[in-house]
Amino acid sequence: MSAALALDAAGADVTLVDEQDAVGGQVYRGLENVRKAHPDSRSIWGDDHDGGVELASRIRGSGVRLLPETSVWDIGGKEGPRLGLVNASGAWTLSPAHIVLAAGAMERPVPFPGWTLPGVLGVGGAQTLLKASGLVPDCRVVIAGTGPLMYLYACQMLAAGSRPTAILDSAAGRVSAALLGSLLRAALADGGSLRKGVRWLGKIRVAGVSHLRGVRTWSAHGDDRVDHVVYEDGQGREQRIDCDLLLVHDGVVPDTHLSMAADCAHRWNPVQQYWYPVLDRLGASSRKGISICGDQAGILGAEAAALQGRVTGLAVAQEIGLVDGERTRIAATPILRHLDRLVALRRFLDAFYPPLAQSRGTPDDATVVCRCEAVTAGELRRVAAHGCMGPNQAKAFTRCGMGPCMGRYCGAAVSRILADCHGSSVEDIGHYRIRPPVRPLSVGQLAELE
Amino acid sequence: MFRRIRALAEPVRIDFEGQAIEADAGDSVAAALLSAGVVRFGEPVPGGTARGPHCLIGNCFDCLLDIDGEPGLQSCRVKVRPGMRIRRQAVEFALSVPDED
Repeated sequence: MSAALALDAAGADVTLVDEQDAVGGQVYRGLENVRKAHPDSRSIWGDDHDGGVELASRIRGSGVRLLPETSVWDIGGKEGPRLGLVNASGAWTLSPAHIVLAAGAMERPVPFPGWTLPGVLGVGGAQTLLKASGLVPDCRVVIAGTGPLMYLYACQMLAAGSRPTAILDSAAGRVSAALLGSLLRAALADGGSLRKGVRWLGKIRVAGVSHLRGVRTWSAHGDDRVDHVVYEDGQGREQRIDCDLLLVHDGVVPDTHLSMAADCAHRWNPVQQYWYPVLDRLGASSRKGISICGDQAGILGAEAAALQGRVTGLAVAQEIGLVDGERTRIAATPILRHLDRLVALRRFLDAFYPPLAQSRGTPDDATVVCRCEAVTAGELRRVAAHGCMGPNQAKAFTRCGMGPCMGRYCGAAVSRILADCHGSSVEDIGHYRIRPPVRPLSVGQLAELE
Repeated sequence: MFRRIRALAEPVRIDFEGQAIEADAGDSVAAALLSAGVVRFGEPVPGGTARGPHCLIGNCFDCLLDIDGEPGLQSCRVKVRPGMRIRRQAVEFALSVPDED
């Protein structure tokens, strides 16, 4: 939204393609409609989302052309940027002067035994239900994982009159001496956000939610839906807890499906265990005519995404000849400085909440990794032992990544397992090659293309 | 399973496997079913294990349903419409190899 507004202000002809029916992405999902229909909803969301409401209304008042409920099914083009789009009215292609990708983040898929059972949802997924439809669990809920979103969602449940049974937290209870430095830097740069996190933890404690820390592993059990969780507590003892819903979270990762389909260069972040596109400071990717901003560029959160969007919008306006370089530089400098401050908080969060994907290593043999084709970690290790070197070959051997999600969900885990087997880096093992259509397209829609 | 924190703004009636479900305009099909206590959606994978909505933002493809006769739709990305008929996915995804004779 911010990039679109910056470009619109510079006089560009801007089209905003959004898979949802209203602007706002995941963080500000459905916010405009909910605010209109239910002005009292602010008591649950707090004032954090006011920024999203303001951005959305500025988009409505601008010259930006909106294409809601529209998906990108192809991206690339040898002779300049090209997009294949699809919505209810059909499929077509667009050849803009420049493409800005801002696909945001997705919850990190974290394979564990039983994670495919009905009733096992992402914490972010549950939050989406609350944002878009006002649904809150009224059953026995266990929240398991790592990161501040778990605390935020637990507080939102409490504000809505529900209470989780337990939080199984993989993070340790206290800040270790090694992390004090980064905590201090985060407090100086962005004390407000840090205080907010401490407030969430306080609310959870006061509400009497059982908050277990240092939990090492868990698995979901049940016949055709989850009915209990088995976990290993901080002392290494096995425990059992009954539940109707298990909400899991392991942080969020950039949604790089489109930038990978566009063949932009990507690198692996070994601390955060995710792929991210290689960009310059103003968001330009390795492919001419494609820029990337927001969490798709690397996880920094919504506030940073809006700043990056403004900078990227300015840079693109300069590249297509609407503003001169000096003006861009002057406008971008203070925004980039503000961005640096937000990075300090992120560094602390990254260190204090290491992804389970990093702290736990790869899943055991029996665990399903590719949900769509039900391929286990054991099968991947078996084909690796037979000489399968990379994810594209593993696809041919096991069908992993060949289901409808096209590797969105298993890609990173498959690369990690193969890298582990061969003793090489994830970056050397690489990622699935993403081919069009990147969203399902009917043969009829394909046939009607010119 | 789930309850609504606000009254329905614009009730929409849909049919799931013969069961009438009242949803709100703007709900995704997945949200509407969850609000009615349905968590097991189908067996859209080889081996036939039960699945339900997991990511709810269109990435995991575990919430696939047959909606008004069209199979394989991501129910978290389809909005409810009055009179919609929804069925569990009755598709056998396993590859069948023709007999050689």
